[in-house]
Amino acid sequence: MRRFLILVGFYALIAPVQASLDDAIASAVQAMEPYAKLGYTVRDDEWGGDLGVREQKAIPHTLFKGNDYWFCMASDAEGAHVAIHLYDSKGKLAESDSWQKGRFAAVRVLPPATGTYFIIVEVTNSPEDRTNWAMVYGYK
Amino acid sequence: MTKNLVRVVLVAAFFFSEGTGFCAAAPSHIDLSKFPATQLDEIVVPLPSEVFNVLDKLGSPNWQEQLRNPVIRNTGERAQIALLLGSVVAEGFVAVEAADKERVKQIGRDVLELARAIGVESTVLSRTNSIVTKADSGDWATVRQELDGALTDVKNAMIELKDDQLAHLVSLGGWLRGTEVLTAVVQKSYSPDGADLLNQPDLLRYFQERIAGMPPRLRTNRLVNRIQKGLDEISPLINQKITPDSVKRINEITGQMVKAIDSRA
Repeated sequence: MRRFLILVGFYALIAPVQASLDDAIASAVQAMEPYAKLGYTVRDDEWGGDLGVREQKAIPHTLFKGNDYWFCMASDAEGAHVAIHLYDSKGKLAESDSWQKGRFAAVRVLPPATGTYFIIVEVTNSPEDRTNWAMVYGYK
Repeated sequence: MTKNLVRVVLVAAFFFSEGTGFCAAAPSHIDLSKFPATQLDEIVVPLPSEVFNVLDKLGSPNWQEQLRNPVIRNTGERAQIALLLGSVVAEGFVAVEAADKERVKQIGRDVLELARAIGVESTVLSRTNSIVTKADSGDWATVRQELDGALTDVKNAMIELKDDQLAHLVSLGGWLRGTEVLTAVVQKSYSPDGADLLNQPDLLRYFQERIAGMPPRLRTNRLVNRIQKGLDEISPLINQKITPDSVKRINEITGQMVKAIDSRA
């Protein structure tokens, strides 16, 4: 019993520092908040998973000319750095604006044409082998 | 002086190395065929509001004219109900554009009925209540958000129930009705910008692949089979320059598919 309590206590100590996908989602939603205040409709859905350092993931998405999009990516791993960029179907950088702040990053696009675009997410640095990440987006 | 200079250079070098490591500028061009990123299995299916948001900016179509009023019955095969559910949500957006309170409220109730028929009623209950309430007060922005949310919640609930195939059919039903409306609006007053909204070949291919990957029991379902044929007909029209004639033809094909979805439920 004592051993069990020690184990529970140990878990309670380490649990808060273990980032989870839910935490990454919450962080991405948090990064999106300023845009929601600017009138962007935030889609009530999210994309995410885990990535190794320097590993990238491409998310294909049909974007419509006439909309103005912000995509926000975040991780909940302290000390992690993430990046997000957006390319058109010919591989040309199509973003209008982007920023990175440690475990948060965002990219804006005003699509010059309707079509498939590729959102490239990346963990550029992290103290963890696999880093949880999440992405949400909004449009107006 | 020399000591300070060395210090400045060292600090700058530190930040520069940090900068290249963490904040390197994105390359202006990448070769997607050789790109090292692995692709997520699924394309992101846009929500109806993403299309209607653009349609709002293209002018003021007669939305009342685009409204349909099918009789919704919540009995039938699950595949038809899933397709119908997606189509009814898209109809909700047309009703919002038309600012038709009664129609939006009825659509809210229809969504609940259809969700009940496929066992995900509890997932959308608060959404549909909100649709009815907000329609009454004319809060169209919230109604749109709740319609989008209902679609997402239903799909996620089905995925949780290991019913991914039906989740795809819900998305497809919404896309078909959305495309029917889009082509009807563009057809009324053709413009290259309006026609450009139909440039969705990868999305169409995604739906075709989802149907092709369904188990034979579902793929050979009469309605699903008909939808598959319809998508195959649309494919060459969307994979080339979109002309007024192709807009008209896509409108006819999607219109027939939406009617088929309604008539079998």
